[in-house]
Amino acid sequence: MTSSTAVVIAPTARASRGLWHDALRRLLRNGPAIIGLIFIAIFVVGAILAPYISPYDPTIGVLSQSRQGPNMTHLMGTDLQGRDELSRILYGARISLTVGVTAVFFGLIGGTIVGSIAGAAGGVVDGVLMRIIDVLLAVPGILLAIGIVAWLGHGEIQIMLAVGVSYSPMFARLLRGSLLALRESDYVLAARSMGASPLRILLRHMLPNALTPLIVQATLAAATAIIDVAGLGFLGLGPGDPRIAEWGEMLTDSSRFLQSAPYLILFPGAAIVISAVGFNLLGDGLREALDPRLKR
Amino acid sequence: MPLLSVQDLVVQFRTHDGTVHAVNGVSFDLDEGETLGLVGESGCGKSVTNLAVMRLLPQPAGHIEGGRVLFQEEDLIRLDESEMRDIRGKDIAMIFQDPMTSLNPVLTIEEQMVETIRAHKRVSKKEARARTLELLQTVGIPQPETRLRDFPHQFSGGMRQRVMIAMALALQPKLLIADEPTTALDVTIQAQVLDLLQRLAAEFGTAVILITHDLGVVAGMTKRINVMYAGYVVESATTGDLFARPRHPYTVGLLHSMPRLDAQPGEPLIPIEGTPPDLRQAPKGCPFAPRCAWRVDACWTTMPTLDPIDETAQIVTTGPKATHRIACWNPATAEEGIHAHPNRPGFTPAPPPAEAVS
Repeated sequence: MTSSTAVVIAPTARASRGLWHDALRRLLRNGPAIIGLIFIAIFVVGAILAPYISPYDPTIGVLSQSRQGPNMTHLMGTDLQGRDELSRILYGARISLTVGVTAVFFGLIGGTIVGSIAGAAGGVVDGVLMRIIDVLLAVPGILLAIGIVAWLGHGEIQIMLAVGVSYSPMFARLLRGSLLALRESDYVLAARSMGASPLRILLRHMLPNALTPLIVQATLAAATAIIDVAGLGFLGLGPGDPRIAEWGEMLTDSSRFLQSAPYLILFPGAAIVISAVGFNLLGDGLREALDPRLKR
Repeated sequence: MPLLSVQDLVVQFRTHDGTVHAVNGVSFDLDEGETLGLVGESGCGKSVTNLAVMRLLPQPAGHIEGGRVLFQEEDLIRLDESEMRDIRGKDIAMIFQDPMTSLNPVLTIEEQMVETIRAHKRVSKKEARARTLELLQTVGIPQPETRLRDFPHQFSGGMRQRVMIAMALALQPKLLIADEPTTALDVTIQAQVLDLLQRLAAEFGTAVILITHDLGVVAGMTKRINVMYAGYVVESATTGDLFARPRHPYTVGLLHSMPRLDAQPGEPLIPIEGTPPDLRQAPKGCPFAPRCAWRVDACWTTMPTLDPIDETAQIVTTGPKATHRIACWNPATAEEGIHAHPNRPGFTPAPPPAEAVS
């Protein structure tokens, strides 16, 4: 061909500016995902600003004001010790969000390492790792987490580790599946035909392309992690210090008063549900935004 | 010495359904700067032959069971993986069928090309980028400075194949393997891409193996053609010889099943009856025998070797004077080649031997 035939593509301004940019644009046009983002944002802002916007100290109770219903001085009422429920919800958001999100992050790291090794190595290594994952997946996640907390003792770090470990098999399996599919892809073969090294192919060509399902799954997992963290708290395996406000423990403390003070169950329960729904909506939105098959 | 000499290459795939005999002893030579066409229907082993040359057979199923692949007098089959990696991209490069899936969707064109160059050459990012620009210009990408930062999905199929060609030729390899490079493209774009490929290969002195099932593509592009069937090279000749005087019944069939502009009105296309053999069976006799109108008894039992038509001829394996060779017990005559059926009084194709019937 000659240079005269080279003028094929009109130099129009292209709206598309890369995969992530496009994905963000699609996400912002997704109504439910925006609602999810708003839910999450409410709790994130509340957690960050808790020391400034909380009307009371969450750890100091006034016994004479025990179990007041919602009123003008205590918008969400007070608990058995007379502590302000709204302040405890706001501070509780700090625990639930940091522990939940960090736990997912731990799980993601563990799952990515194991999944990469299995998916990239294949063969015997893959077989052994996946059988171990099978065993871990056979144990219910919360049971595994309970076991780990019982083993390592109380504390926020322990909860993060416990929930993280119980989530990592899921991520490992997901990533390994994507990597196996990518190994057969044309552009990986093309990269190999250009002399790229196996490590380079894994890090530069395969992992970035396997990332989107992981991101979606991690967002969805954050929802269940918040519930799991609250569940551990509810079962008495929370941070350990009874003064610390934690949504799950708040539920346990108030379950006796379900009849007389239902608002003490309602508010922490609603906080758990709303934050979990927020992450779920965002996760679904991300799935649609990042899936190339659903483009436009 | 030829640039590439494939000798008795045998490739098998071990699958759950048994062993697939994909390539059963293929030999061919290629000189520097020469263009060779590999023609045959899907599954005849043409792609597998070249993946074996690149040592990129699908793992863990694909195995090179025998033979030698001499590239610049070095047996590629004996190299370890890291030595082979140095050769890939630098000395031997490849272009694939589908440009829509052969580029990494999450990396820009610049990242992919710079990476390829820097995998083999100690140059700075800036130098690699300058080279990339130059290459994109050479393959006819308009406004390369801006398109450099674009992602593959922002390019059309033809433009992507140009990018692939630019990337494959980035390090001026000695050999370029083009595996159906135009099959996935619009017909109007096909000719442009083939022209470009031909022009650049000539400019860089790159030898090309062009794999295709499209006889029209090889006719214009290549000087020499190997016709493959069921893992064997059944006919090897210069392009002119092959089209003018096809001698192997399979080649005759291929040429007659393709529509031609110079055909008489109403002249029917003659399809090749039957289907290709199941490659999971160990080869016995000529694999084309069940579909062949020229078959004789020997065809059912022994695969003939690839020999010159003129038995006294000195064998020339490369270049414009390459010897016309076929692997056939009972080749079609030149006249039969025109009519695509045996024209001999009293001749009937030999029936399969008794034990094969049961």
